[in-house]
This record gives sequence, C-alpha cells and structure tokens, in this order.
Amino acid sequence: MLLSILQVVFSLGLADEHYLRTRTTGADAVRAAAGYWWPERAEGLCGVPADEIRRAAAILAAGSPAHGGHGTVILTGRGVEQGIRGTDTVTAAINLALALGLPGQPNSGYGPITGQGNGQGGREHGQKCDQLPGYRSIEDPAAREHVAGVWGVDPSALPGPGLPAVELLSAIGTDQGPRALLIHGSNPAVSAPDSQAVVERLRALELLVVCDFVPSETSQLAHVVLPVTQWAEEEGTVTSVEGRILRRRQAVDPPPGVRSELEILADLAGRLGSQVAFDTSADAVFDELARASAGGRADYSGLSHALLDEESAQFWPVPANGVSTPRLFAERFATTDGRARMVAVDAGNPTTGPDISLVTGRVLQHYQTGAQTRRVTVLDKAVPEPYVQVHPTLAQRLNIAEGDIVDVRSPRGTARARARLSVNIRPDTLFMPFHWGGSGCVNRVTEDVCDPVSGMPAFKLTDVTVTPALGQVC
Amino acid sequence: MARLVVAGHGMVAARFLQELSALGHDHDVEVFAAEDCEPYNRVLLTDLLMGTAGGRDLRLPGIEDPRIRVQRGTSVASLDRHNRRVRTSDGTTVGYDHLVLATGARARTVDLEGIDSHQPPTGVHVLRSIDDAAAIIAAASQARSAVVLGGGVLGLEVACGLARRTASVTVVHPTGVLMDRQLNAGACEALQTTLAAMGISCLLHTTAEKVLTRNGNLSGLVLSDGRRLDAELLVMSCGTVPETGVAQAAGLTCAPGVLIDADTLATEDPLIYAIGDCASPPEGSSGLVAQGWEQARRLARLLTGSPVAAPSRTPAPTDVVRVKGGLDVVSMGVNAAASTHSSQRRIQLLDASAGRFVEVVVDGDRIVGATAVGAGSTAADLTAAYTRAIAVPKDPAQMLIRPSDSAAGRTGSPTTMPESLTVCSCNGVSKGDLMRAWEAGDRSVAEVSARTRATTGCGGCSDVVAGIVEWLAAGDPDQTTSSGALEDDTQRKRDAHEMEMSRG
Repeated sequence: MLLSILQVVFSLGLADEHYLRTRTTGADAVRAAAGYWWPERAEGLCGVPADEIRRAAAILAAGSPAHGGHGTVILTGRGVEQGIRGTDTVTAAINLALALGLPGQPNSGYGPITGQGNGQGGREHGQKCDQLPGYRSIEDPAAREHVAGVWGVDPSALPGPGLPAVELLSAIGTDQGPRALLIHGSNPAVSAPDSQAVVERLRALELLVVCDFVPSETSQLAHVVLPVTQWAEEEGTVTSVEGRILRRRQAVDPPPGVRSELEILADLAGRLGSQVAFDTSADAVFDELARASAGGRADYSGLSHALLDEESAQFWPVPANGVSTPRLFAERFATTDGRARMVAVDAGNPTTGPDISLVTGRVLQHYQTGAQTRRVTVLDKAVPEPYVQVHPTLAQRLNIAEGDIVDVRSPRGTARARARLSVNIRPDTLFMPFHWGGSGCVNRVTEDVCDPVSGMPAFKLTDVTVTPALGQVC
Repeated sequence: MARLVVAGHGMVAARFLQELSALGHDHDVEVFAAEDCEPYNRVLLTDLLMGTAGGRDLRLPGIEDPRIRVQRGTSVASLDRHNRRVRTSDGTTVGYDHLVLATGARARTVDLEGIDSHQPPTGVHVLRSIDDAAAIIAAASQARSAVVLGGGVLGLEVACGLARRTASVTVVHPTGVLMDRQLNAGACEALQTTLAAMGISCLLHTTAEKVLTRNGNLSGLVLSDGRRLDAELLVMSCGTVPETGVAQAAGLTCAPGVLIDADTLATEDPLIYAIGDCASPPEGSSGLVAQGWEQARRLARLLTGSPVAAPSRTPAPTDVVRVKGGLDVVSMGVNAAASTHSSQRRIQLLDASAGRFVEVVVDGDRIVGATAVGAGSTAADLTAAYTRAIAVPKDPAQMLIRPSDSAAGRTGSPTTMPESLTVCSCNGVSKGDLMRAWEAGDRSVAEVSARTRATTGCGGCSDVVAGIVEWLAAGDPDQTTSSGALEDDTQRKRDAHEMEMSRG
C-alpha cells in the first residue's frame, strides 16, 4: 500500500523533484520499483480501495511544504517494523517521505513510534548489542577509539557485536551459549516471541539475576532478585522521537534498602575487579555518556543535567560548544555525500494469505507486559483480563459468541482469552494485547522469526487457528 | 554457462529477466527487443490518456546484470529449431541452449470499408504501444468527437481517457453487454449509469461498417444500423492477436498463442518456452499482466533450479480484472459472465440506477468468483478475500455490503443490551457497572461518571450512558430521579454536543 501511495505521488507529479534531485540518490530505481504497484493492483492485495490510496497521496502531498502546506509527518508504528519484511516496509515509508520532500523541512519528516518509555534514548547510548554511545556502530574503529578513550581502556578491550535479543534468548542456557544473564526491567517471559521456549531457556541458566521494581513473571524465575528504584525515584533524561532530550526529575524517595541500577552496576564492577571507577550519580553518568557520544550522530556532548534544567528545548546533535539541532537534516543527511540514499523495495509476488492472522499490540490502559499496570487497580479494572478481538462474521463462522473463552493456537503454543466482537477489524484477522502472562500470554503463540536485517521479531502476523475453549481465563 | 535467448522485452520479459537476475543465474542471456525504448508498463498506457501518469512513470525497473545483454530495435525474425539458432532482423544468427518466446500480442484491427491498409486515414488508431498513446493524445486535442470500437476493458478505459479530452465520446460494441467476458446484463446496466454520468454514450448490438473521410482525415463512421456518427478520432479496441509468426513458421503449434505446458511453461519443443501474451497455457491466456508475471516468476525459478512454490503459500490467483479510469469495476474467477456448477452458489445485488452491481460466487467456504460495479470498498474487500483465499462468512450475502461502523452491539435499546456489554471502552465500564452504580445511589450521568469513570475518556459513549441512566430512571419503581437531575443530563448533552462541534 505504501508503494502504491508512492506510485500515485510520482505519477500525479506530486513528488518534490527538486528535493529528489538535490538531496537524494537512488530516486530513479525507487520510482521504477513503485511502478509495479498502481492503485488498482495494490487494492486487490491490501483491500484498501484504489480511490482511498489516491486520496491518501493527495492529503499527504497537500500538507507538504513543497506544496505550500503546513507540514506533513509520516509516522510508523510497531506493526510496520515487526514483520519479516519490516525493514523493507519502513524503507517504503521513508522513500515516501523523501519523495514528498519532507525530512529536514519545517513540521515535516519521518519518525517511528516505538513502545518503550525511553527506547529512543536507550538505543542512542549503546543499549543494543552492536552499538556504542552516540548512535554509532561497535565495529567502527573511530568510534571504538573515541569511546575507549573516554573510558580509559584500550580499544581492543571493547567487545565486538553481540547477539540480537531474539537470538540471545534462544542461546542462553545452551552448551555454547551464555550461562548467566542479568535482566534489567524487562519481562521476556511474557514479552518475547515463542515465550514458552524462552522460559525454558531462562530456567536453563546457571545464574539469572533480575533487577526490577515489581515482581514480574521473569523475576519469579530468577536466582537473585535485586529490587531497584522506579522511574519516579530517579533523576535522568528521556529522549523523544524528534531527538529532544527531556529532563526527568526525582519525585519521591525510594523505600529504604532499595538501590539504583547505577549503584548495583558500580558495586558489581568493583567486585569483578574493575580498575575503572563507576559513577553512581545520574548527572555524572550523563556527563560520561555525553563525552562518549561526542562526534557521533546522537551527539550529547554539549549537554548536562544543569543545562537541561535551564534550557528545555535541546535536540541532538548538541556538540560541545555547539548548538542544539531542532530540525535534523535541514542541511544534510548523515551520509558521506550528505544526500539521503533511497533504496528500492518491492512487495514481492502476491500469494494467498493465511486463513486467520493474529496481530498483537497494546491497549491504552496497560503498558508493555502489564507488570506495572496490572498492579494499578483502576487500570486493571478497566481491562482486567486477556481478550481477543474478532470480527462478527469470523466469530459466526467459528461458532463463537461475544464473551466466549477461546483458544488461539499456532505451532508454538496456545493462548486462551475472552472473545470480544468488533467490526473494526478485518474478518481474517484477530487482535490480542500482550499485557498478560500465564495462559493468556499471546506470545505463547508468536514465533521467533525475525526480519533478517533488523533482527526484529515478527510479532505482528502469525497464522493461527481459533476454537472455543472450556474453563476460565487465568 | 548455458546460452539463453529471449525474444521480446515487454512487461513480462522484463519481469522474467529481473527475477532471473535476482535469483542468481549462470546463463549467458541475449535479449532481442522489437521496441526501441526501454520496457514500460503497458497496463498504465490508459493512465497516460487519462492524464494520471506521465511517460516517465511507465518505466519498469531496469536490471544491471553483466550476463544479460539487451539489443533494442532488433527482433527475432526466424527460428531454426533443428540447429538451435535464431536469426534476427538485422541478419545476425545467434545460437541458444534455451529460448524464451515473450513476443506479446498486437492489437486486432477490423477491416472497415474505406480504410486502405496501405494508406490509412489520419484519426484511426489502436492502443498497444507508448507511441500509440502519444498519437491518440495528440489526435484528441484536435478532435471534437471520438468513437471507441469495442467496449471491453481497454475500450472503456480509453473512453474514460478520451472523455477528459474531447467533447463527445461514443463506445460502439457488437453485443448487448459491455465487457461481455466479465459482466452480465444487470452489471452492464449499472455500468452504463456511470458511463452516462461521465458523458460517454454506448451503442450496443452495433458494429461499424464504413469509415468516412475528408481530405485523408477521418470524419465519420457508418454503423451497422445505417446510422452515421461524426468522428475525427477512432480508436479500435477489438482485442489482441498473439505475435506467433516466428513460432508458427518454425512448426510450433499455436491456438491462438504458442501452446505451453502448465507446469514447465515449455512448448512442444523442450528447449523453447513461451510466456506472456504470446503463449496459450492450458487454462487459456487471460491477457492480464498478473498471469504473465506469475509465469515469469515460475520460469525464472525453473531455469535456475530454485523451488517454484514458497514453502507455506501458493501464488495468488491471477485472473482479477480491475478497470481503471474512474470506473469502479472488478471481476474475478467465476465472474458474472460465467455459468456456475451445481455445487456453486451465486448471490447478487443489482441497484442499476445507482450504478451498483455486486455478485459473489461461493463453493463450500471459499469465494470462487466475484463481480462488482460501483461498489467502492466492498469491491476491495472481495478482491482481497479472493486473492488471499480467505474463508467466507456463513451467509455469504454479508459480503455484498460492508457493515456500518457502529460497534457491534452498541446499537439496540438499553433493555435488550446484555449486562456484560462494555458501554465505555476507554474505562471498561459495562451496562452492569452502570446498573450497580444506580443501585448504590447514583441518579445522574454526572454521579455515575464519578463512580465508574464512564464518559471521562473520549466521551463517545455519552449518549449511550445517558440513555441507560434514563432507562434506569424510567424503570425504577422508587422514581427518585428529580427532574433537576434529568435537566442536568440534558444540559450535559448540549454541552457535550457543543464541544464536539467546536472540535470540528
């Protein structure tokens, strides 16, 4: 569908040809590849009427600065990324944004909306198996040299890329894999695809340490649980999708005996014989990350807690002695020639679909695996139990009534939930939120197949069967 | 390295080469392209007429493969099967280990009195190539009246394109049903409503007999019923004829396209394959690019020894006919023109004066065919369901109309609504919760909201909650609602309505 909107943009002359000529490379191949997906052809596959595809293109173009609009932003959510062709789908969205001349223009651009409170900030400072602070690759020699220098170690002391999350979770507790795992505020027993297999792996570890502030399902499997401070009990920052760094201030004191993760990591490092002293105050650690990120794409080196306390609108890169960058890509892109590189993608050859597809996701009232929100009475009461959203004609075909308990099944496992009928879903699709563990844990059903480029698991589309079940929902 | 010769470089050949290159092959490939230009999307030629595409937008993705060489403006002129050689139009001889025929089809022309085939009058056109399209667009700028001969898919799309460029467009069609391979009389009736609204007249059961000219330019047509039509532009869209000259001369059986095997795509000569419009597979050639592209995909896989079928999916059906140009028409599988078997069930909706016709044909729990005219999003749903082979509802008639957007069960009176029904989805408040709030002493929407949080999210349930509170008041034997509380509720509704209006 994205390719079809792009085809319309090109064929109706809505593309910003000047922008494509001066600020991108690869536009011609993208233009030709989009040509396979004229709206009438796309309609037959995605079920979105050709006229609506054309209208979408017109609306997006009308808002774009090139057409005198106030701005158009294309935002994608997890559904776009969490499929085996997630990278290609995001690329299609980015190509659309570039074709309309959006990135770098006022009130315009492309952005992904992710699920975690500070996923953006975390990713930018190396909380990924293949990255270093500043949004840099752990394999980049210049980055390794700089960061090692900040930490006072030899670059060769830094490891190479590790395993992406899904691979890691299937390797732990195996003969060749890690024997000990530290988990911080994550609940993979519920959130990981093929969750029952992941629980087996967690049980197979020699040592599982969980740092969390609620007794999550994963913490129940741990050998050692370290209670840590919760977000309102900490100082720090969060970073938004536009690269804005926001100060986060402590609101309450933690209970006695509770340590912060900074304290725990410093203590652990000391006991493991580290020669490097680890700071335990948030502003000092921020300063260290700021220095480490200097020269990287997400350059925080001009920032500090003190500065952020005074000035609120700071966007990276903020080099030391430099200024904040409220609008990224206004002048150039982070490539060697400064141009955005457009990569052609194709939707592939049409195939028949599965009879019933399962999509997982979130509801307003719960956050992630529900480990926190299920413990808040008002929220728990609002959405108290696992449910699966079903279209009435599908329900009828399956002999399921509103409120029936059903089993949703895939080769990986079964999830049990209450059926809720709605016409706001396709008759071949089910939606199930992932906020519960136990028998209602939808990740018992999802598979750990991943996009080959990003390593992102395909949560958003699983072939399933559905049958009425007996018994109560846990 | 095996030598592969490809005769033709249109949409299907281009796709074949792209798939071959992407799979990684070890062939030495020589391609002979009759047309001088790069391969383009022929399906979108009518978009050029309609003004919804520029010439540049018809370009297909090119391939950069050092082992694939394309010679433009050179076609295969003859085939020597015994010695495995072809001779090209510029006299060169090229040997092959495998040969792929992808020579396409040409437009069928009708013999009309008054057309000298050696010196046809200006104003008479066919639409098959990008040059044809350019010529038609130029001619249309000078023409007052245009006639399209043949009311099939192409003819109707051409008519739509011409309707934006000339003052008068008439479609002349030999049978009583436009698109008679896809539609029936009812569907045609619905379609004509839309065509008339676009200013396109249709003359059914009519053919053209004679062409009238003035100074070598077309000026009119004489029809089979004797009538005379003014026309400065005539586009013949009377079907296509597969280009099989070379194949026939070499002794390959053609009926009408080159006969090929369903699985191997090979002709009776195991070293020669044929794909696209020039080929006739056992199921028949539909002339649709989807069929040709699927053949291209399969042949590329066969020639590179790759598995033909994806592990868990079968290829989607390739017989969906979707008309462009602002005509909302789609047909697939057992369509309105086809007859059904006894095990098949045909369900129709005809709403001719509103330009609408929808039909679905079901066998067991699958759609085996559908036809939709003027049916908007229903058509898209049907096509997606057919293409992806999704099971149908218990009553397939439900597929003929899309249900309205009101949440299931939201409509209906408070009396019949089950207690477990969620009334406020933002806060998860059921009818039963509201009833318990009433039992606990709440007597107005404001009080019930304070206790249950209903209406405090998006506010979309305000009317339903107010209705339930009224119903509870009406049914309560104690009748402790003061008229003041009901007035509060009415004012609240007014306030909420005003808020909605100002939110725009």
